[in-house]
Amino acid sequence: MSADGRVEVGPAAGFENGDAEVVQVGRVEVGVIKAGGEFYALRNECPHDGGPVCEGMVEPRLVGEWGGPGERVEQHYDDDQCIVSCPWHGWSFDVQTGEHIGDDGYVLPMYDVVVEDGVVYVNED
Amino acid sequence: MIDPKEHTVVDCDWHYADTFTQIAPYMPEPWKTKYQKSGFGDTGVKQNLAAFFPASTGSRANYGKIQREFSEYPDGGDTKEDVVAGMDELDIDVSLQISHLILAMGGVTADDRRVESFVKGYLDYMLEEVLDPDEGIYGLAPMPYHDIDASMDVLDRVEDEEAITGVVFVTAGASPPLGNRKYDPIYERCEEMGYPVVYHTGGSGLDEYVRAGYQDMIETHTLGFLESNMSQIVSVASQGVPEKFPDLDIVFMESGVTYIPGLVSRLDEEYLKRSEEAPLLEKRPGEYITDFYFGTQPLEVSARPDLLELCFDMIGTDRLLYASDYPHWDFDSPSVITDLPMIDDEDRKDILGRNALEVFDL
Repeated sequence: MSADGRVEVGPAAGFENGDAEVVQVGRVEVGVIKAGGEFYALRNECPHDGGPVCEGMVEPRLVGEWGGPGERVEQHYDDDQCIVSCPWHGWSFDVQTGEHIGDDGYVLPMYDVVVEDGVVYVNED
Repeated sequence: MIDPKEHTVVDCDWHYADTFTQIAPYMPEPWKTKYQKSGFGDTGVKQNLAAFFPASTGSRANYGKIQREFSEYPDGGDTKEDVVAGMDELDIDVSLQISHLILAMGGVTADDRRVESFVKGYLDYMLEEVLDPDEGIYGLAPMPYHDIDASMDVLDRVEDEEAITGVVFVTAGASPPLGNRKYDPIYERCEEMGYPVVYHTGGSGLDEYVRAGYQDMIETHTLGFLESNMSQIVSVASQGVPEKFPDLDIVFMESGVTYIPGLVSRLDEEYLKRSEEAPLLEKRPGEYITDFYFGTQPLEVSARPDLLELCFDMIGTDRLLYASDYPHWDFDSPSVITDLPMIDDEDRKDILGRNALEVFDL
């Protein structure tokens, strides 16, 4: 914790897309994830069973498109949607919104991330 | 409480106890001749008929205990007059007839046309001799769904028939399960025609349901009739049939109601852990399922009242359809609905008739 209300995560250059770093923000753990060149910060506590969701796999979302009656639902990984999946049971969340991909009634609280002088910070509120 | 005599009662599941002898003259060749030269006899429950539609566990009529005044069940051989008299006795104004014999179609594994031929013969027979909208006697067209072209033929045949109000898929033995893309053309056509799809459980393979060795029908009927519907509900919902065909009315028949909360809860739990495996869904699968319609029979009237109340609340009284299943051994009369303590009279009227009038456009 810092006096200016933000928590230092580390050098931005240390993150590749898909990397995550968990930091303590106040009383909670927050995962900072880099996806599509952007940083996102989400509560590291799965609403399902309290698992360390941000320590799970970060990857493009597997989506399906139906071509019409009789056609297969063709699946592909959508690089425009990135998800993080809790390693305990697989609940998956959109890293940009924090919403569960199957039920947006479940949302991971999100935090503001700033990059200043090459260093990543999470705002505390 | 309401008196069914004073309100519209629609029975969404009356089984016409047909015989192969009745249907055979209407079957297309060569099955008409093959059947008539076979010595098979009348019904699907006698030993020599097992070669046509395989039989299943035990005596449906509980070894003579079950007797029916307005049907030749279990041997079959009903007439239109039986149906009219039975509907009058049960205070049923409108009935949807489903072939008794077709419920065993899932036991046919040969790649031939016997199911298609039976269905075509059955429909011609029923349209000629039994169905009569002026008497409130309507029918559902069985789908020989293993053969899409044959199913389309059947839909062509009934498209302009006022007496046919939808189609029925026998869920027992349907493989691949009925959410598979193979069946899309049938769903697409039914959606265009405004035909509800009624999934109806059945007894095919009941003796060796999942595993061989059950002793009696108390086991196989409890499990098998339930599983046949549950397996198709999971497939239809997970594979996104309601998303593919949003205007298609989906009805599940003859497994009561108490299984729905358990199935929905389990499937939703799976979905939250494996959402990417149901990519067409825009909401939890359970939310689609509780938008389906469900026949009430055999209603678990001996269950804890608070459990039944939960089930009705979860499904919605606007989604429940009275069904007698007459003349089958575990039929429900309208009193199972009129005597329910936890719903009000408006709900009772909806379940007994008003919902079905809307769904089947009667």
